[in-house]
Amino acid sequence: MLRKRIIFSLIYSQSFFTQSRNFRLQKVGNLQWLEKNYKFQDIAFSLDELVVIDASKGKKSISEFANMISQLVNDVFIPICAGGGIKSMSDAELLFKNGADKIIMNTSIYENAALVKELIQRYGSQSIVASVDYKRLNNKKEVYISDGTRKINLNLEEYLAYIESLNVGEIYLNSIDKDGTGFGYDFDSIREVSASLSKPLIIAGGAGNEKHLIEGLSIQGVSAVATANLFNFIGDGLPNARKTIIDSGQNIADWSKYY
Amino acid sequence: MSITNKIFWCKNCLNMSTRPRISFDEKGWCNACQWMEEKKTFDFSKRQEELKTLLEKYRSKNGSFDCIVPVSGGKDGSYVAYNLKHKYKMNPLAVTIRPALSLEIGDKNLLNFINSGYDHIHITPNPKVLNRLNKYGFIEKGFPYYGWLIAIHTAVIKTASSFGIPLLFYGEDGEIEYGGSTESKNKALYNIDYMRKVYLEGGHEKVYQRILLDKDIAENELAFFKFPEPNQIAENELSFTHWSYFEPWDSYRNYVTAKEHCGLIEKEEGHVDTFTNFSQNDQALYALHAYMMYLKFGFGRATQDAGIEIRRGAMTRDQALNLVKMYDNAYPHHLIDTYLAYYEMTRDEFDAVLDFYANKDLFEKVDGVWQPKFIPGEDYYI
Amino acid sequence: MKIVIVDYGMGNIKSISSTLIYLGVSDVILSSKYEELAQADKIILPGVGSFSQAMKQIVLNKIDLTLADLVMNKKKPLLGICLGMQLLGMSSTEDGFSKGLCFIDGVVTLFENPKLDLKIPHVGFNQVNPDANSLLYKNITGTPDFYFTHSYKMLSTASISASMCTYGEKFVASFEVDNIAGVQFHPELSQNNGLKLLQNFIDRF
Repeated sequence: MLRKRIIFSLIYSQSFFTQSRNFRLQKVGNLQWLEKNYKFQDIAFSLDELVVIDASKGKKSISEFANMISQLVNDVFIPICAGGGIKSMSDAELLFKNGADKIIMNTSIYENAALVKELIQRYGSQSIVASVDYKRLNNKKEVYISDGTRKINLNLEEYLAYIESLNVGEIYLNSIDKDGTGFGYDFDSIREVSASLSKPLIIAGGAGNEKHLIEGLSIQGVSAVATANLFNFIGDGLPNARKTIIDSGQNIADWSKYY
Repeated sequence: MSITNKIFWCKNCLNMSTRPRISFDEKGWCNACQWMEEKKTFDFSKRQEELKTLLEKYRSKNGSFDCIVPVSGGKDGSYVAYNLKHKYKMNPLAVTIRPALSLEIGDKNLLNFINSGYDHIHITPNPKVLNRLNKYGFIEKGFPYYGWLIAIHTAVIKTASSFGIPLLFYGEDGEIEYGGSTESKNKALYNIDYMRKVYLEGGHEKVYQRILLDKDIAENELAFFKFPEPNQIAENELSFTHWSYFEPWDSYRNYVTAKEHCGLIEKEEGHVDTFTNFSQNDQALYALHAYMMYLKFGFGRATQDAGIEIRRGAMTRDQALNLVKMYDNAYPHHLIDTYLAYYEMTRDEFDAVLDFYANKDLFEKVDGVWQPKFIPGEDYYI
Repeated sequence: MKIVIVDYGMGNIKSISSTLIYLGVSDVILSSKYEELAQADKIILPGVGSFSQAMKQIVLNKIDLTLADLVMNKKKPLLGICLGMQLLGMSSTEDGFSKGLCFIDGVVTLFENPKLDLKIPHVGFNQVNPDANSLLYKNITGTPDFYFTHSYKMLSTASISASMCTYGEKFVASFEVDNIAGVQFHPELSQNNGLKLLQNFIDRF
């Protein structure tokens, strides 16, 4: 039976990994800091996948980002999904060459359908993850692109339908309102949209502890839960969370059995 | 032979038993966590009525200022000022007591707050006098910005008296919200005795007298640092209150409001001694204050921030432990030169003060740096 | 030990090569040249993308001929990964009908989704039932999880020592026929299970 996944998202900005709170970024540490405090070689066994997003405001340097990815992937034997600022085939190529197993795109999904099609043709739909950032206003769900700075004219349901028609591999749905709050995912919105999706759905935005991850995993239409909360899961946070989640009966691969 | 004493941590947050005036219940929960629990079902409507009554009593009928809100440009004062002006339609006068060594981001935040639409008075106590009071506070009480701590009470009171504004709204009662004395828990108003006893830890008189011994500072230069005489307060009918009495205090909510309505910005690079970047951004001496607190009691800024996160449900105690272990022990290396220049002390003199206040039961010196003998979260016997 | 990863312009080479290096393989190179592949102790055929696109590249660079000689005639050990495994079969319907390398008897088609209740692609960790005679799963007990990411899957009626996985239907997760092995999943992305499996390929083929 296909397992559900626990994903850790790293939000990168200009050589630093950051804690994002409602898309305001706080620099936390560089790759050395991350390796020291997260020891990815060890905690990769608490994770099913890594997502690394370049959320630098303004101009993004894809070559610097790709370089960082190539260092990050050493000795980590789980899928790495990387992206942020992909605007061309060569951008994507650079990330794949440097160790990305999948790429994640946000603004380009909206602005450049031709690029998306070309990427799917070259790398296969399973290699492309569409990231969607949204805010909830009253009962409407508004979609934002460009690192949450530009609102588009489609609401979330309309935009998700469009994305599915592009035939990307997976959807990464992120709540700007909940981002970094540690209060839990936007379960209302997730329940509203997940049932009608035919692509695997990764939810993000707001996870603070394993209870939130468990609640997310319990929703049938959710394929994976992601957290970008660097502080809440530091140290032994991830291994402990994974153990609790498995003990609670969730369908997650148990890597501890295979050490 | 000393009596064995147990140092322990709150079972819910990470407040330490060493925290002054703190109390714990039979579950091992500190009073801040007990209050957090109470707030979930607490009926604030009665207190809301009290607030409305208080506001009506003082609401200006002729366009004058009717309340004073001490602000620093940070989230808490901004939140209170915002609510008084926009939700309750009062006419607040915001007051800032300029700290020593103000940080650029603090100045920016204050300006952003003012520019978002507030009447504001910026009081600068004589920096030389402030410096001396800070220094003596540092040496005599282990409070690096003691002079400023005095002034945010005394100078604000002086402003209130001078302008004839009888109602003062401070933000939160830290004793109730973060752990400490519960004597003010059910009182809307508090008084100068409480300020002297609790906030200034009874040190005001001592430091005030100490500074008078310096021949180069005259008593009249301490005008901003004097509490009014009891009869003066009665005359002006000054009422001091905490906003946190009237509605559930939520510092993260304050941050969000301040961000949205008062232009608050965060410190992009974060801090060395904690994982948050959106509070205590106004003055360089705060890092030293937090470090002194760590040396005296065993907990630093990260423990305090973690407590807030735990109590607002955004983090678990186990998660917080990792952060406390990472961040609390933070000797402010990057600011040492600034401090030495400010206090006009040598490194040895400065370290001697730290040495004096370090709790030797909790800390030992290793390679010249105080290191904890305890492990955060684990009962420790001294 | 020299392992050559076939270079036809498609495939996540970095993950595979860094994993092989981690496992202690001294010589890992990327090549499409006959001479270099001929010198390999073992060959890995990677693959990410579309079957038809891949076959076009392979035929263009005469890799089909190279591999037919080295693998089918000279019996060099070969491991196909993901799309690379599918290419070893007879055909695929991805992007229209394409002929594969025809090294083993297996056919690739889209996942059946009659009730429209399956999410396609099949992405994530899923359990594999190792075939009793398998060498790849030696010392890997139970029904181990491996990382899958694909929309098309292989079925076979031939005897190819297939280890199956289930996603709506049972499909070939891996096969082993003499010197040729193929895995639908990504061993280089499958934690310790994947490392053990790759070690088995290195040691036992």
